[in-house]
Amino acid sequence: MTQTETPGSDSKGLDLGSGATDLMGRLRAIAGRRTEGRALALFVIVVVGTLIFEPRALTSYQVTLGRIALVGLVALGLTAVILMGELDLGVASTLAVAGVITASFDNLAVGIIAALVAGLLIGVVNAFFVIVVGINSFIATLGMLFFLRGAAFVLSNEQPVRIADPDAGIAFGRPLLGPLTPRILLFILTFIALHIFVTRVRAGREFYAVGGNREAARDAGIPVVRRVFTGFMISGFVSALAGVINTLERTAADPTAGSTVLLASFAAAIIGGVLLNGGRGSIFGALLGAATLGMLQVSLTLSGVQVDVQNIVIGSVLLLAVISDPATVRLVFGKARTFFTERSKPQPAG
Amino acid sequence: MKTEKPVEATKTTEPLAAEPGIEERAFSLLDWMSTRGIFIFTGLLILTAAVFIDGFASLTNITDVFNRAAAIGIVAVGMTFVVISANYLDLSVVAQVATSAVVLIAISNEHGFLLAFALAIVIALAYGIVNGVAVGIFKANAVIVTLATTFIGLGLLRWFSGGSIYFGPPDGPIRAFGSTRLGPIPLSMIVLVVMTLLLSFVLTRTNFGFMVKSYGSNREATRLAGVNTSMVVIGAFIITALAAMVGGFVLAAFSNTAVSSMSDGFDFRALAAIIVGGTSVFGGRGSVLRTLLGVVFVSVLTNIMVLSGLGFGYQQMAIGLLIVVAVSVDALARKAAPR
Amino acid sequence: MTDNTMASSVNGDGPAIATAPIVEARNISKAFGGVQAVDDVSLAVPPGEIHAVVGENGAGKSTLMRVLSGIIKPDTGGVFVGGERLDAGDPRAALEAGISLVHQELSLVPEMTVAENILLGSTPSRGGFIRGSEQRRIAAAALEEIGVTVDLDEHISRLSMALRQFVEIARAIARKPQVLILDEPTATLTPAETDYLLDMLQRLAGRGLAILYISHRIPEIFRICDRITVLRDGQHVDTVATADAEPDTVVQMMVGRELEAVLGEHRDAKPGEVIVSAKGIRAPGVNGIDLELRAGQIVGLGGLVGAGRTELVRAILGADPRTAGDVTITLDGKTHSINGYGAAIANGFGYIPEERRTDGLALTMTVSDNIALPNREHLSTGSVLERGKIARFAKQLADTVGLRPPKIEHEAGQFSGGNQQKVVIAKWLGREPTAIVLDEPTRGVDVGAKAEIHRLVRELADDGKAVLVVSSDLPELLELSDIIHVVRDGRITGTLMRDEADEAAVMALASGQTTGAGA
Repeated sequence: MTQTETPGSDSKGLDLGSGATDLMGRLRAIAGRRTEGRALALFVIVVVGTLIFEPRALTSYQVTLGRIALVGLVALGLTAVILMGELDLGVASTLAVAGVITASFDNLAVGIIAALVAGLLIGVVNAFFVIVVGINSFIATLGMLFFLRGAAFVLSNEQPVRIADPDAGIAFGRPLLGPLTPRILLFILTFIALHIFVTRVRAGREFYAVGGNREAARDAGIPVVRRVFTGFMISGFVSALAGVINTLERTAADPTAGSTVLLASFAAAIIGGVLLNGGRGSIFGALLGAATLGMLQVSLTLSGVQVDVQNIVIGSVLLLAVISDPATVRLVFGKARTFFTERSKPQPAG
Repeated sequence: MKTEKPVEATKTTEPLAAEPGIEERAFSLLDWMSTRGIFIFTGLLILTAAVFIDGFASLTNITDVFNRAAAIGIVAVGMTFVVISANYLDLSVVAQVATSAVVLIAISNEHGFLLAFALAIVIALAYGIVNGVAVGIFKANAVIVTLATTFIGLGLLRWFSGGSIYFGPPDGPIRAFGSTRLGPIPLSMIVLVVMTLLLSFVLTRTNFGFMVKSYGSNREATRLAGVNTSMVVIGAFIITALAAMVGGFVLAAFSNTAVSSMSDGFDFRALAAIIVGGTSVFGGRGSVLRTLLGVVFVSVLTNIMVLSGLGFGYQQMAIGLLIVVAVSVDALARKAAPR
Repeated sequence: MTDNTMASSVNGDGPAIATAPIVEARNISKAFGGVQAVDDVSLAVPPGEIHAVVGENGAGKSTLMRVLSGIIKPDTGGVFVGGERLDAGDPRAALEAGISLVHQELSLVPEMTVAENILLGSTPSRGGFIRGSEQRRIAAAALEEIGVTVDLDEHISRLSMALRQFVEIARAIARKPQVLILDEPTATLTPAETDYLLDMLQRLAGRGLAILYISHRIPEIFRICDRITVLRDGQHVDTVATADAEPDTVVQMMVGRELEAVLGEHRDAKPGEVIVSAKGIRAPGVNGIDLELRAGQIVGLGGLVGAGRTELVRAILGADPRTAGDVTITLDGKTHSINGYGAAIANGFGYIPEERRTDGLALTMTVSDNIALPNREHLSTGSVLERGKIARFAKQLADTVGLRPPKIEHEAGQFSGGNQQKVVIAKWLGREPTAIVLDEPTRGVDVGAKAEIHRLVRELADDGKAVLVVSSDLPELLELSDIIHVVRDGRITGTLMRDEADEAAVMALASGQTTGAGA
């Protein structure tokens, strides 16, 4: 009874459950891979609703785009961190500090550079506490949230600070290319850069491995620590960029700037299908989420709904988004372990 | 999927001491700092302040510290339950405290104290249940959930109140409560002490507190011991909400006014007090009594900064730093301890 | 130390090797805690050979393979590839030298594509940018080499378990290894898929790849392997050529120990009424199982790792949801239906889970608190805990289970594995359960504690409790059980009464060598 049972099969033709190969099946498979479905549905609803109730939000698209750009920018940076299963609660405070730094220098260019460098440094500090010291990123960045908000107050003496060259700021707010202001262009550029980074660049693509299966990533030789530093630095830098843009357009830095950005940026990312536990989501999803929220906010504003009510709406959207994630819902309704579904189909006895 | 690997992985982390035996943990400075250090630190801080800071050791100042500490302290001892259950914190206490304060003054003025009290309790239960269900049943992240409920809550409060300031009648019972004191000790401080003792009893002596601690230490083992873990989480958030309600009452009574922005900063001051008091953000370990000491520490620190002319910005920086440092010490102590 | 001729003498009385070995393990020893997992084991595999490593659970197979692939650093001994000594405990060095391990547990990233997973950690890139076409080319080549067709752009999370296993293999192949190590690769595969995999391995070996194949499944081994190395209790028993060996003798070598001593320990079992009845249980990994537990009887569940035993007991208890089936428990003449875990606990079940540290104990709480947790209702008036009562209660139970040292006020995490397990048992003993389920009750436990835990289990049955024991430790299963059900692929493939059960019979049913003989 040794090797008498030589391989009989021609090694092809075994159905391993690779799924459908026909066109519809393929399309379904592609659709199934996407995680932006919820954002897309919500986006369509909001667009249709806007068309019916407040078409001005679409005709004055410049306002709408501007609103999307600020929240969206922060949400994009945040997504880089969330993909790795970490969180950066300090983004809004980074925005405020960066704004104040921009305005604190006599030379505007120096101020902008200093603000962006500060954003990078904040990312480094966050990553240090999270991955080197080993504090949960929720708590580490929560500490940073308070610290940086305080720093913004201290640096500005609790007063709005005018930028050194208000004319440059006013120029910055003007459309540069067709109707697009620099703010919107920078947002689009950031979107393209980050989208390419997490889809085409090796380091960015590996964020998914760090978030999806950190142990496997480490075993495969991926420099997890370096990736986490990169992610937090992206988030810090992009938030700082948002702060710089905000300050330039207003020609003054407000230490309380961005107080609703934290909520909105998280809502945008989570609506966009970015899973808080990491490993799942896309930059495009975050963009969709931000667009949905931005349009909603502008429509509400134009309809005369006051800010407090807008906060209620956005807070509710975030709460619903965080409890209606498909993964969460699955968990609640019976831990459906798709993991094993292959094994539950009847097999011939033997 | 079962594999053989966990067996060996388990073995490596088990104590190397000869069998049978127990691993006597060596004295660890980090461990000590993160749990018992608060006694010494608070003492040193008060001593330093008394010696070096002009005006600290005066009766009026100490009364003032007590008054400010009371509301935050009541919130912190309640929120300790959420932290021990390994759910980080409840950010929405900011909204809860302000709502409770506004309800107390505004509704009392119009419809009397009883209705205000009943409404406040209903609101507190609503907060506790919404937060608790989202976190306990839907397993959503507590930070994000309570961030959302903060905005919903503050939005509702400002919508209804229009951001206006409410004043209680100058001779009403609220005013009387807020201004009564026993010697230098305001009544609010007594409420804080009573709340601390009560919640400490709940945490250490009741079934519920026991389950909260156990849940924070190991969720799955607690579930498999037959505990309804969803109810434990909901309970922890309800306790936090009820404490925040009392905190709001005390805050409103102190000044006999209420406004929707009056509790800004309560979230992180309470968290700082809890963490400095040695309750672990990793869950399962902690003490309500030590949270009280943490409150003293944070309040004295804030007072020193105020007396030294350092504004809100500096206070916020200091407390943000305090949180990060305290958690780092806890994290490093855990890394060093073989368990 | 590049003495290739030494290799042939390493295996002692094993058959001589024609070609020089490509990979060698020399005198490897490794201990975890007080347990000697691998004890002075040597092994040599020439190119083109499929070499089986067999042994019971805990024989040291996985540890040896993890040493070979550089994941674990051995206490003594070394690994040699082509005569060159490898840096011990460096996975990258092992990988560069051409040793590729196909992980037993899946180490894929669910939300990345097949191509990305195959090249994870060695993604081809230029200037930081991924070379997508190159990535797909290498991945496609690796899949081609193992003859598996799968969409390169599909996400892993959407693949079947079998395909994931094949992607893991493609991942190992993409690294152009000289030595491929597979640890229980067929554990999650259907018979057809297993056939496919075995054919594939033979083709790969035909091209000169050396393959180390770890498996419990004797028929598979006899089908594809050239030589077999048998490990037992971390020691090298023998290495034999498959052509010269019989399945029975290999099984004998795997399990051969003092069987007489075991037989002497049997209780005089008097099975009573049916206490627990489970019918048609289905759940992920469980494909329709009926089970009865009787008062005073110890029912053993045997089978290989991954056969679905843990899934079965958790489905019976309701600790994980079941998709079909009914469970009832009879208490004092009344029959209760068990629809969830809460009902199971309330109606007299006790559950000692498989993973003690993650599911069994709150390690940062005291022993006393851990014992009190499931008994809190009895230890409190109203809802106020009675500390004194808890201390006395915990002390008494700690004494019953023989906790050493009996310091109930210490944190559970400070105790050794065996003592921790006693605490888990103690907390359920306090509830005086009618039916008690123990999943791997002595895994990672030292010999002394093991004997004590066995004594406790027997006492429970003597007291008239219905006892269900899941164990991968064959002597333990045989020693404790009055009746043994063997589980394979989520079904009961055979039932053995105590007098007809021996290690070879259980192993044969578990590995699919015989089917349904005793059922």
